[in-house]
Amino acid sequence: MQVDEPLIRETLRQVIDPEINCNIVDLGLIYDIVIHGSRVLVRMTLTTPGCPMHELIANGVQMALLNLEGVDEVEVELVWDPPWHPDMMTDVGRARVGMVPR
Amino acid sequence: MNLPLRFLLTGILALFVAVGWLIVRPDILATYHYNQYVIALTHLLVLGWICTVVMGAMYQLVPVALETRLHSERLAKWQFVFQVVGVAGMVWMFWVWNMKQVGHFGSVLALGVALFVFNLVRTLLKVPRWTLVATAVTAALFWFSLTIVVGLSIATAKCTYDSAEQLSPTSILGAMIHGLRSVAGFMARFDQISAMHAHAHLGGVGFFVMMIVGVSYKLIPMFTLSEVQSHRRAAASIALLNVGLAGSFMTILLRSPWKLAFTLLMVAGLAVYGWELRAMLRARKRRSLDWGLRYFLTAVSLLAPLSILALVLSWPGLRLTAFTGQLENLYGFLGLVGVISFAILGMLYKILPFLVWFGSYGQEIGRSQVPALADMYSAKWQIAGYWMFLSGLMTTSVATVAANPLGVRAGCALLALSLATFAVNVGKILSHWLRPIIVPLNVKAPPCSPTTARSTAAPLGSLISAS
Repeated sequence: MQVDEPLIRETLRQVIDPEINCNIVDLGLIYDIVIHGSRVLVRMTLTTPGCPMHELIANGVQMALLNLEGVDEVEVELVWDPPWHPDMMTDVGRARVGMVPR
Repeated sequence: MNLPLRFLLTGILALFVAVGWLIVRPDILATYHYNQYVIALTHLLVLGWICTVVMGAMYQLVPVALETRLHSERLAKWQFVFQVVGVAGMVWMFWVWNMKQVGHFGSVLALGVALFVFNLVRTLLKVPRWTLVATAVTAALFWFSLTIVVGLSIATAKCTYDSAEQLSPTSILGAMIHGLRSVAGFMARFDQISAMHAHAHLGGVGFFVMMIVGVSYKLIPMFTLSEVQSHRRAAASIALLNVGLAGSFMTILLRSPWKLAFTLLMVAGLAVYGWELRAMLRARKRRSLDWGLRYFLTAVSLLAPLSILALVLSWPGLRLTAFTGQLENLYGFLGLVGVISFAILGMLYKILPFLVWFGSYGQEIGRSQVPALADMYSAKWQIAGYWMFLSGLMTTSVATVAANPLGVRAGCALLALSLATFAVNVGKILSHWLRPIIVPLNVKAPPCSPTTARSTAAPLGSLISAS
């Protein structure tokens, strides 16, 4: 089965930041998803450099995607450029932290 | 058990013991503070509770906040042993007023502190980008080391060295005893109570307040989704606090009328800190403030009345009366319990769930439904604890000024009730460590082991160019 970007995004909603209690997609942490057959590259960031959840969230992304049928390999690339900003959150994410929706 | 968690739980235990002790012996706070019981209890609070928790939190957070790794976990394990033995022995020996043994147990503690400072300095040397937080941590470690040296010197000055006459200064033991006698002679130049006050300030302001102010510039933006609004303002607060403290230490020690000038510098540093804190909070994107942060922010705002009290007590020529003596007690109590302990309780509501979560659910993220940190304890108990702490603080403060033991007992009982709510929540948090609640996700294929994920991750770099 061939996976597609919407499915990957939906799956990544299972990975939460336990401090903010919001999933990483609605937090706007996912910058890019590249699918090459059964291999997936996720380019993402975290809310702050030196986030204590650093490795766990990256590991969680791998775990969640490897659970998908049709995904054999996952690479997570953590980037800090551009730096994350609260405006990157979706309306769901904004509601979570009490910001007004756009 | 995870090493920082071991420090945190030991510290919490010391806090429970200290408050229980105050309920049994409320007269301790209702009399002038230069007696063995106040000193024993103060060291239980300061070293047993505050220091132990701050050390555990620093082992966890300093590497994380400064994006590096702790130099050595093994050294930290040894330090834990020295810390527990040192503090327990010191408190006991202060209580029975055996200064020689205080010195011995103090040396055990100091050995641990040396390991702690060495470990963190080595960690700081590896920091990839030097930040203001790193400067504040370095300053805090420096003042903490000096506090220990001054404390041990005060203990040295309270001992006698009759055996020095029989020992040759060239033997190892003789050299040590002669050395200690010289330290005692040097310390005799200073007024005993001034030396104690200078020592207390170095530790309280230099280590604890410096850490609170310094880590605020990392943690407040992290928890509220904000940013430092003015780096110059943040740097100015740390600089003023350091210069003020250095001057204040000397002027307290020498009973100089210049004390007031340096108190003013420190108060200015705290005011600039408050200004920046307010700016960061106003710019925050996460609108709701959780109760852990409210504990912390309330504690920090108590620095305002504490500063006023500090200015009054450093007024040149202030006479020591029974009333000003009680004001000094209030100053110590409000600083250690109102500001520092309250702030730590708030931060423990952040770090304790995180550490347990890390151990119990860290590997489950993406595989199972994991609880949010705030789901690991009861917010109701936390809120009740907040109001009880605040009312206990007010009651004890008023009763301390009025030198009323009954009021102190009532206030401490409220504080103890607040700590009971905290104990309930600590129990709830730890239950996730003993029995994690793991609900599998709705998976479409059998879960892969983490090893598979790691082993397949390497050759994928080519995908970047494929995009």
